[in-house]
Amino acid sequence: MIEPSDTAVQPAAAAPRVGIEALNAYCGVASIPVPALFAGRGLDPARIDNLMMRERSVGLPCEDPVSNAVNAARPLLDALPAGELARVELLVTSTESGIDYSKSVASYVHEYLGLSRNCRLVEVKQACYAATAATQLAAGYLASAASPGAKALVIATDVSLVDERAEYAEPAMGHGAVALLLSAQPRVLTLDLGAFGAYSYETLDSARPAPTFDIADADRSLFTYLDCFSNSFRDYATRVEGADFATTFDYLAMHTPFGGMVRAAHRKLTREFARDRFHAVDEDFQRRVAPALVYPTAVGNLCSGSVYLALASVIESADPAAVAAGARVGLYSYGSGCSSEFFSGLIDGESARALGELRIAEHLSARVELGFDEYAGLLDENKRCLVPERDRDAAAGLCRPILDRYPIERDLLVYTGTKAYHRQYEWLPLNPR
Amino acid sequence: MSSPTAHSRAAIARTVGEVLAEILPGVPVSPLPEHKHLRDLGADSVDRVEVILLALDRLGIAAPLSAFTDQPDLRAMIDFLHERSTR
Repeated sequence: MIEPSDTAVQPAAAAPRVGIEALNAYCGVASIPVPALFAGRGLDPARIDNLMMRERSVGLPCEDPVSNAVNAARPLLDALPAGELARVELLVTSTESGIDYSKSVASYVHEYLGLSRNCRLVEVKQACYAATAATQLAAGYLASAASPGAKALVIATDVSLVDERAEYAEPAMGHGAVALLLSAQPRVLTLDLGAFGAYSYETLDSARPAPTFDIADADRSLFTYLDCFSNSFRDYATRVEGADFATTFDYLAMHTPFGGMVRAAHRKLTREFARDRFHAVDEDFQRRVAPALVYPTAVGNLCSGSVYLALASVIESADPAAVAAGARVGLYSYGSGCSSEFFSGLIDGESARALGELRIAEHLSARVELGFDEYAGLLDENKRCLVPERDRDAAAGLCRPILDRYPIERDLLVYTGTKAYHRQYEWLPLNPR
Repeated sequence: MSSPTAHSRAAIARTVGEVLAEILPGVPVSPLPEHKHLRDLGADSVDRVEVILLALDRLGIAAPLSAFTDQPDLRAMIDFLHERSTR
């Protein structure tokens, strides 16, 4: 374990302390075990080992990118001391699940979170990377102290459109959102300001050309992700004196399309940047990477929020004593198309306390387990989620039996339908006492 | 990664065969089915990455993975590695 004060990673001169003050993940209210999905689709079970996925979250027709974002962020804002809500001066939604060519997801989220009318709001898109771009831009804004005491809320939110046509990608896709409250009082992750590396170029590895389906070139996507990891780390190392892949980072949290991709990435970088340690690559993976996979392998690919779900997984799954002692996390964010970034930050015991208040693990365990037929019965309605329709009702009849089985009390924002292109939502108490 | 070393095409094909045998035990590699893609031999995407990276490693060749994306079969992969090793 390296001590933050001993590390080679030194923030920019006189850089203020900024980072993630609070983080919450909303990963839906339903899930399906990956083996059940393999069996239902007739996929080769021998491939589960390399996929490294256990369960995936499943969206309901009464959920969409807006409700997911609000359901992730609301608990963070509810926990703020009185008066602090008004200090959220920037709202960014990051999504590849847009609902309109002009009107942003953020405009609805702003309303249902009750944010100040003096808050800036905007939506960003760069596949699964966009939340990191927003986070870095927001961190720079906060560090500038242009508005001392301001907070920024970045919410990565997406829905899945996959069905049997996606073959082995179907069991790996997730559903949900991650909300990051950024400020100059970071409790969850203190960013190493100025310690980053980026790598981007144009390629068509995966995309969502229409509101009802995705396209993906499996090899191009995997190879691009892996090449970008090497190159973004290389850029990081040019900016951070002494940065060493093997020793600078106590943990690594990566964008997780599926667990096997993260394992392949760790092996590739160990070969390239820590060749003399490759003989112990499996042990190193278990120690520094496996904690980041506990949540992602139970949720599926959250797209833009994936790397931050991996961060939450590190904080809550790694050795608590090691986290409490202070640890540096290297984060790798990748978005098809493509853009990528490697950056880092510090976690400690306060990170674990801050996350613990959100009960992420409890909410993951509470998801209603669906059988294959029940899962498959949702897909046609789910594929309408992003289609612009003038008027429609959400398929409440498909949702109610599942929502009624949700075992713990919570308030959930649900999508109820669209009237004259205006999306409608309501708060629904689940399992009220 | 060491400096590129010139290898004969036959030596590269032999190394690719050895790597395949390690990553995909049971796949017949003698003679090497050069007209097939790794996918046709049962390699999933993670296996394909491992085969390519291990072959690059053994041969001391540096190349981005993206260079392998559009290769239609093992023959094209071996030709590419041969061309890289003689640069």
